[in-house]
Amino acid sequence: MSQLEKGLEGATDELGRDIEVAELLGSLSPSVEDPTYWMRFKAQVLRAASTELARRRMMADVTVADVLTSWARAIVPTAVLAAALAGMILLRAHTVPIAAPARVEELLVAGMEGETIPTTLSRTEAETQIAFAAERF
Amino acid sequence: MAETQNDGELVHRARRGDESAFGVLVERYQRAAYAVAYSVTGRHEDAQDAAQESFLVALRRLEECRSPERFAGWLMTIVRNRARNLVRRESLREMEQVPMGASSSTPTPDRVTETRELRASLRKALAELPEMQREIVLLHDLEGWKHREIADRLGLPAGTVRSHLHFARKALREVLSASPQDADRRSGK
Repeated sequence: MSQLEKGLEGATDELGRDIEVAELLGSLSPSVEDPTYWMRFKAQVLRAASTELARRRMMADVTVADVLTSWARAIVPTAVLAAALAGMILLRAHTVPIAAPARVEELLVAGMEGETIPTTLSRTEAETQIAFAAERF
Repeated sequence: MAETQNDGELVHRARRGDESAFGVLVERYQRAAYAVAYSVTGRHEDAQDAAQESFLVALRRLEECRSPERFAGWLMTIVRNRARNLVRRESLREMEQVPMGASSSTPTPDRVTETRELRASLRKALAELPEMQREIVLLHDLEGWKHREIADRLGLPAGTVRSHLHFARKALREVLSASPQDADRRSGK
């Protein structure tokens, strides 16, 4: 009895897996003639996929490294710049002398060159009007 | 360990370039992919090319697989489209064909002849089925997928799957019963 006849005789209308039909259809499987077919099929697919898989691995690695690098790229120069600016500001703050408050007398004579401050007369001389009028600048 | 992982986990790992995870996916679905491709092309060489290329296309587009746990259905859609394109355009084969190696057990000449005849009858019978019925009967009776799996993975109602399977088997039996080879055998020629 052939496989075909067996299959037909054993075939039922049940919708479970029909073993006979499965056997019949199984003869179409490439593994019937070559038991190593599926193993080689997989190996061939994996060989063809190796470049894409490698690219994906690299992308996955780069993604982590990229984050760190991008942080480093953005943060390190900014931090260096900020530190340099802060240092400069601090240095300048220490070296610039604090301006002494100008005295009132100096402010009054500012821009009046050649004119001297009248010498204060002695108390006795100042008491007289003449003495005061004789005062010359 | 990878063999027991679900498709979703394997897809996530394959996205990161994990070769073993992708290998498990290939091993898990290579027969079904071939069956689906065969149901479209009806030729071993074309089915093989379409199935192999589909795995590569799927790998390149893994990010487009929105539901990784439904990888099988997504893959079968790729296989079907690829096989249809192959048939339609008769595109050149890009992949090296896996040569059919020698079997470990050498069949007798009678057995070889019988198998060839059986295959020819089956191919003819399958060719007369609608594509969807071919695909379902191959996935169910050849690959052992359950109704629910086929329904889930092909995105069909379970009742439709059962109906297609019923009509496919019926048509298959009718065609095979009517084949001249079978008639010859029955009459003892």
